[in-house]
Amino acid sequence: MNGLQAMQRLQTALDYTQRQISSGRRILNPSDDPIGSSRSLELRESISRLQQFDRNSTIVGSRLGQEESALSAVNNVLQRVRVLALQANNATQSNESRGLIAIEMREQLGNLVQLANQQDGNGSYLFAGNRGDTQPVSRTGSTFTYNGDQGQRFIQIGEGREIADSDSGAAVFFQIRNGNGTFSALPDPGNTGTGVVGAGSLVDPTLYDRGQYTVRFIDPDNYEVLDALGATVATASYQSGDTLAFSGIEFSLSGNPDTGDEFIVAPSRNQDVFSTIDRLAAAIGTATSSEATRAAMTNEINAGLLNLDQALGNILDTRTQVGSRLAAVEDQIDSNGSFVLTMQSALAEIQDLDYAEAISRLTAEVTTLEAAQKSFIRTQQLTLFNYF
Amino acid sequence: MPDLLNTSLTGMLAFQRALEITGHNISNANTPGYSRQVAEFTTRVGGGSGRNYVGGGTQISTIKRIYDNLLVEQLRTSATGQARFSALNNLAGRVDSLLADADTGLNTGLQNFFNTMQDVSNNPAEIPTRQALLGEADGLANRFRSLDQRLDTLESEVNDRLTLAVDEINRIAADIAETNDQIAIAGVGALPNDLLDRRDALVLELSGLVSVSTIMQDDGAMNVFVGSGQSLVLGANVQRFGTQASEFDPTRVSVVYEGSSGTTPLDTSLSGGTLGGLLEFRSRVLDPSRQSLGQTAVAFVNRFNAQHAAGMDLRGNLGGDFFAIDPPRVLYSSNNTGSGTVTAAIDDLGAFTGADYVLEFDGAAYSLSRADTGQNVALTGSGTAADPFLADGISIEVGGAAAAGDRMMIRGGHNAAGTIETVITDPRAIALAAPTRAQASIANIGDATISPARVADSTDPALLASSVIEFTSATSYTINGAGNFTYTDGDPIVINGSSVTINGTPAVGDQFTIEANYGASGDNSNGLLLTDIQSVGVLDGGAIGIGESYAQLVASVGGTAHQIQAGLDAQNVIYTNAEDAVLSKSGVNLDEEAANLIRFQQAYQAAAQVVNVTKTLFDSLLAATSR
Repeated sequence: MNGLQAMQRLQTALDYTQRQISSGRRILNPSDDPIGSSRSLELRESISRLQQFDRNSTIVGSRLGQEESALSAVNNVLQRVRVLALQANNATQSNESRGLIAIEMREQLGNLVQLANQQDGNGSYLFAGNRGDTQPVSRTGSTFTYNGDQGQRFIQIGEGREIADSDSGAAVFFQIRNGNGTFSALPDPGNTGTGVVGAGSLVDPTLYDRGQYTVRFIDPDNYEVLDALGATVATASYQSGDTLAFSGIEFSLSGNPDTGDEFIVAPSRNQDVFSTIDRLAAAIGTATSSEATRAAMTNEINAGLLNLDQALGNILDTRTQVGSRLAAVEDQIDSNGSFVLTMQSALAEIQDLDYAEAISRLTAEVTTLEAAQKSFIRTQQLTLFNYF
Repeated sequence: MPDLLNTSLTGMLAFQRALEITGHNISNANTPGYSRQVAEFTTRVGGGSGRNYVGGGTQISTIKRIYDNLLVEQLRTSATGQARFSALNNLAGRVDSLLADADTGLNTGLQNFFNTMQDVSNNPAEIPTRQALLGEADGLANRFRSLDQRLDTLESEVNDRLTLAVDEINRIAADIAETNDQIAIAGVGALPNDLLDRRDALVLELSGLVSVSTIMQDDGAMNVFVGSGQSLVLGANVQRFGTQASEFDPTRVSVVYEGSSGTTPLDTSLSGGTLGGLLEFRSRVLDPSRQSLGQTAVAFVNRFNAQHAAGMDLRGNLGGDFFAIDPPRVLYSSNNTGSGTVTAAIDDLGAFTGADYVLEFDGAAYSLSRADTGQNVALTGSGTAADPFLADGISIEVGGAAAAGDRMMIRGGHNAAGTIETVITDPRAIALAAPTRAQASIANIGDATISPARVADSTDPALLASSVIEFTSATSYTINGAGNFTYTDGDPIVINGSSVTINGTPAVGDQFTIEANYGASGDNSNGLLLTDIQSVGVLDGGAIGIGESYAQLVASVGGTAHQIQAGLDAQNVIYTNAEDAVLSKSGVNLDEEAANLIRFQQAYQAAAQVVNVTKTLFDSLLAATSR
């Protein structure tokens, strides 16, 4: 009776070891090792999450790559436009040659609009923010409208780590400060003199109050500076090439303004890159007939070049950000990968069978069972009745 | 010499009887519960012959049953323990492997669902990916349901086995009572050994079903008691066990004692044996598992639906219910006399436990207690629709006219996992976008930026209305042209249920708009928040996440199963030892019987030889006197 039970127990143990060996798993049921099995559940969950993060990272990587190549093309267009504007600004250009430059510039503008309305492989617009179905840039006459939104999509690439896979067209093409980024100084359209505004800069941020100022020539050699309310802030005499400084800012002025000519200084506001190019092309394409109209054109081209530089700076900033995001994604893929390896080896330690141990256990169990069976047969034969 | 003849005849008679006993022992060598019997010889007192007494031969005074009551009691106790652990181990092992199996367990389902959720967040505009999410959602709901169904099947199996065990107990009790009767009749003189063996075997069989205690009576009858002292067998009389639907749940079998003074429920007082093991499995493994699984299901569905409602779908509607799950189920006691009604709902997931509760009306007020521990649970509120009772994250509304003593059971999570369904069928109705967006006007001059809009209150009726924040100075703003609010850099501004923060220095006239997020097919803001549900704490005051909650269930059942397995191993050893002890005391040893056979045969032959001697003596005497 007892011997039989012992043999049954051995048989069960043998069967268990055999199942361990055939499955390669140390834990067959959670009750074999409750702590280990709940730990292995956690590990498997973490590994699966990390592998998902890897897939996410690949998607972010490819989207950022797409954005980067679009931005690179945008940069080329803007550089070309800049070269064209500089060419047009050269005094040796005739009205005809400038007309040809304006034509090319308009073509480049068309390219740029196309780039801004570029779609990804799934037909979603790259630069429409979250409104991927909406063509982001539309043109009515000389007005360019942004139809997307300012949203930015984030994708999780690691535990607690989200990264943007796009930039909205508003941020890339529309929210670009005009002038030098702080203020713009522009001639009044009604000027009759030949005053041309040069480069300006912020000298003392503590004095600059972001107000609007008007520089008005009392006579060709003297000017006054009025604030937004019409009060006189300063008066000074003028010579061509002077630097005008007031309220913490300064800019240079050359040429000969007429009496009553005005130059307006206003805080920078957003001007989209398309309008900038459109206005440049319009200014370049307009035939000049006098010193005054030439000065007006030069002012327009100067202003346009400033705005273009702002746009180029903005594209560069965005590309830098995209680049650093791409680097972050690469880093995250690496660190996710090494995490997965660590966790997989931890998981293997918990749930995988030590074959050497299991096989030696199997051998021992087989030996014991055989011995038990043999001794059982032998002892069952021992009885006094054999000698009757 | 007639005395010598008599004396030798007593020997022959006694040895013949002894041989019969040996034969009986040999025949019953393999009869379970048989106790070896031994003939006890005593001398017969002879008559006097003058100064000396001469013996009158031998006789068998008793046929002794080799038996140790203590060992038999031990065997019964260990049989009770072994049967209990055996039933527990069998059932708990099945729950254990069911929950942790990669194919049937919840982990894989949750993991696949949330991974697809991430895929959808990566491509919120793609309909095929959205469709795949619906597929995974169905798969997950299915897993919840099938787990609950498998546990429900175990519950039915326990019901069936309880009924069988009770029938078996009644049959054995009747047999014991009948044997008691036979023993009382037969046992006037000597004890009927074989009937005693039979009764012991029956009691041992009964011990395997339920824990029993026995008391011997003077007339040889044995009284058997179970549970908390209920008599099962008294002499030749039997009290029956029965089964009936439990007080609250008509599908659950409850064991009752059908005493002379009505039925008494025994579910909590019975222990040990198969019956005890089944009841213990139900209260210790099955109920907590179903409750915990239900708790996980309720937490998942409610949390997910709440987040889904705070999003906007591809058609510009706010998210509807993604999954559906039944509210806590209310069961009425079969003893209720009033017409009170109770409805329960989930109020606070952080406090929700999934346990069963009993709500009792004492004629004036309601009180709530845990069904498993009986521990009182404090109720706040007044039980009306406007001010329901609140306890452990459940809101309870009472109505109708309950009578004093009426009881209702509120099951927090017990059946919940079986009722999960995916409600959404349209992939476009998955709300992955934020409901509102915040935009800075392109014409802004200041360098202030606005954060994306977050939902502060998805139930705000004006959530989708547009509003404009316009700055009247660098430190103050109006909303839709009204009011004069002070601007502090970085402070959250909540308008119509949306929350935004503005950073930086705004200029006069700068405008920021909060508006419905229509057309934002590429927005995954809410999708990311839905994905986060996998890792954020929901239960236990926000300390335990969904996956964690299930892992705890697996660990807890695994731990219990492990403990039961260890208990069974120990009980097997104890039982085998007890059985060995009884066998070595009472069992038949064939070698011993063989020796006895030879011994008694030789003694018989010797006694027969004495008869021969008597005859020779008598013949000698006749020959001497015949002349």
